[in-house]
Amino acid sequence: MSSLDATVFAAPVGIVAPAGGPVRFRGRPGVLWRLLARGAVLLMLTLGIYRFWLTTDVRRYLWSNTELAGDSFEYSGTARELLLGFLIAIAVLVPLYIAFFLLALGLGSAGEMLSGPIAFLVLTLLGHYAVYRARRYRLTRTIYRGVRFHQTGSAWRYAVCALIWWTLIVLTLGLAYPFAQARLERFKMRNTHFGNLPGRFEGSGLQLLLRGFVLWFLAIVPFTAGVVLTFRGIDWSALRAAAGGDDPASWLEVSGLAGAVVYATLTGAWLLLSFAILYPIFQAMLLRWWAGGLRFGEVAITSHLRTAQVFGVYARFLWYAFLFTLATAVVLIAGWLGLQPLIGRLDSVRDEIVTTVVGLVAYVAIALGYSAIYQATVRLGLWRCVVESLDLTNPAALDRVSAAGEAASPVGEGLADALSVGGI
Amino acid sequence: MTSVGRGSFFDGATTARHAVTVELAPEHLRILGRDGQALAEWPYDQLETIASPDDVLRLGRAGSPVLARLDIRDPQLAAAVDERSLPVDLTGGVERRMRAKVVVWSLVATVSLVGVAILGVPRLATQITPLVPYGLERKLGAAIDAQARASLDTRRMGAAFECGIAPKEQPGRAAFDKLMGQIESAAALPIPLDARVVRSPDANAITLPGGHVYVFRGLIDNAETPDELAGVIAHEVGHAVHRDGTRTVLQAAGLSLLFGMFLGDFVGGGAVVFAAKTILQTSYGREVETAADAYGTALMTRIGGDPRALGTILLRIAGTTHPGPKILLDHPETRDRVAAIEAMAKSGPRRPLLSAPEWAALKTICSGS
Repeated sequence: MSSLDATVFAAPVGIVAPAGGPVRFRGRPGVLWRLLARGAVLLMLTLGIYRFWLTTDVRRYLWSNTELAGDSFEYSGTARELLLGFLIAIAVLVPLYIAFFLLALGLGSAGEMLSGPIAFLVLTLLGHYAVYRARRYRLTRTIYRGVRFHQTGSAWRYAVCALIWWTLIVLTLGLAYPFAQARLERFKMRNTHFGNLPGRFEGSGLQLLLRGFVLWFLAIVPFTAGVVLTFRGIDWSALRAAAGGDDPASWLEVSGLAGAVVYATLTGAWLLLSFAILYPIFQAMLLRWWAGGLRFGEVAITSHLRTAQVFGVYARFLWYAFLFTLATAVVLIAGWLGLQPLIGRLDSVRDEIVTTVVGLVAYVAIALGYSAIYQATVRLGLWRCVVESLDLTNPAALDRVSAAGEAASPVGEGLADALSVGGI
Repeated sequence: MTSVGRGSFFDGATTARHAVTVELAPEHLRILGRDGQALAEWPYDQLETIASPDDVLRLGRAGSPVLARLDIRDPQLAAAVDERSLPVDLTGGVERRMRAKVVVWSLVATVSLVGVAILGVPRLATQITPLVPYGLERKLGAAIDAQARASLDTRRMGAAFECGIAPKEQPGRAAFDKLMGQIESAAALPIPLDARVVRSPDANAITLPGGHVYVFRGLIDNAETPDELAGVIAHEVGHAVHRDGTRTVLQAAGLSLLFGMFLGDFVGGGAVVFAAKTILQTSYGREVETAADAYGTALMTRIGGDPRALGTILLRIAGTTHPGPKILLDHPETRDRVAAIEAMAKSGPRRPLLSAPEWAALKTICSGS
């Protein structure tokens, strides 16, 4: 989870539950595979314009196949709304980008130094703002039994809080993360309503910290030690003195860079390994903690998601990605052989344009292929095992909810899209 | 034909589930509660199908602010509703047709955007470039200059990256300044040139907005006469006069806006944008280079140099120092280019641009302290 899409699962908070029965997911995976395959082809042909329709289709599939107490959810958003939201976001962002540009030019070298951090700050703030507004859009398009969810609260206030908390997370090397999550989730859920049933969040940051501290220790401490050793191994003055020397071997020797490379490699390997093993454990823990803290009125939720399920989801992804890689390799080799006779017949620049375009198409096709596999395995897989792991206490309260709230504008979704901070 | 069946109804006011009887009247669908009282009457042409699990037909009333929903699980009743209502289509044909329309229009939009990128952006940039005030161009140049210098100076030499500063390099610097003086006074530029020689091994020279010209050491090493070096610099001055650097910045901004922002960042989008920019700017680049060649040869004739010397040095360095793919160099095929230079070159009165000792000194401008 990147910093901004921590709201991924907050979207269909429809995960309130069934009178008597568990939450069920009834979608057939084949339907989603077909949607995603067709979507990948169209995304490529339309250079991405089709994404509004694909996003809407996928959400509709996920929402409408999630069933609570025998009734399924409904996603009432449309691609047209997303397109409109995106156009509005462009209208806001283009003048902003131009302003940054002129600021950098107008202030000379000082402007250049300042405009980078200022742009980063403003865009990060805007990113969090967009995430909150986008959540509002998705919630108000989520309908259960003819009653919609809605979200109140100031998105700017959320954005400022999120910015402060994420700064703290970075400064504390991640130790503030549980408290940030608890606070931000509390803010979001306090402002979340299903009809007239108010939501709240009761997860405790301290509890998450206690549960996750070992993971943090295993991931961060060896990594930090590795980085420190790497940099301490380098003799900076020798490095500077020898910079640009003609004998790279002695240069490596003198500066201690050779030892640093060994430390850096070990650190990188540990990072990769710990990520592969620890991340699914962390994700399962976080999801259990998050779902267990959700409340709607007197309805409480618990999740008995097992870590093995999350590993299973990623194993499936790796398996399909492996098959796809094999198939791609075969196609690429065949295509390369087929293209050989064509090359050399044109002048060299045109030759390069042709090969570049072909290479580009292949690259995009492969990237979209992996993305489709990821969505059909990891996203669907996690959605399914999370919703099916839920249990409700006091579900009868869900039968007596009155409608409240209005549909919200899609501008937040548009901003999130234009800033590439989207959730689901 | 079935005209009565059972369903679940949510009235949009509360979450209470009503077990209802659905009656298919001639004009509308009627929803009856347990006591036989009508809860809702929906005209068939205002029915809306809502996404639901496969075995459920979920209906709402199109355009209604009240989110009342009717779930029908009885396949026969669902088929009967489909039969009577035009908007309800269980086969999904209506939706497929609408989606096909969306796809066609998205494709049209894509073609149009690509057309704008290929035809519109360069023309627009050409139109706007003369309108950019020189004051703004100079500021832009200063900003780009700092970045360009940092990216050229791969070995982080800082001030020492520039030739002609150390005492031993001073005679070379004087000769270079003399050569530049002749070129600049003949060119009559609206903004002063700022030409520097840098320790970069490529046989190349570049021009940035705001009159910043960088001549690489590799070019001076490769030049056999002052006229060859002057020919390349005159070509670069052509870029400065035509304000090609500013135009490139405008083009890049336009393309970033089109591809980067408007089309959005779908998977791999960044790479697509980069490659599209490279390809498009290469194709824009050819005309620009030809125009700079024309300017350069004319300028060389004016200062009494050999206008064909540019062609001579181009042929010498072509093939020897073209690292990496040609697509990344903005230059048209060398042979065509040289032929064009030969055709454009007009002979005029000739005089040496530098004396033999001056030229020898200029060759040592990067000899070090």
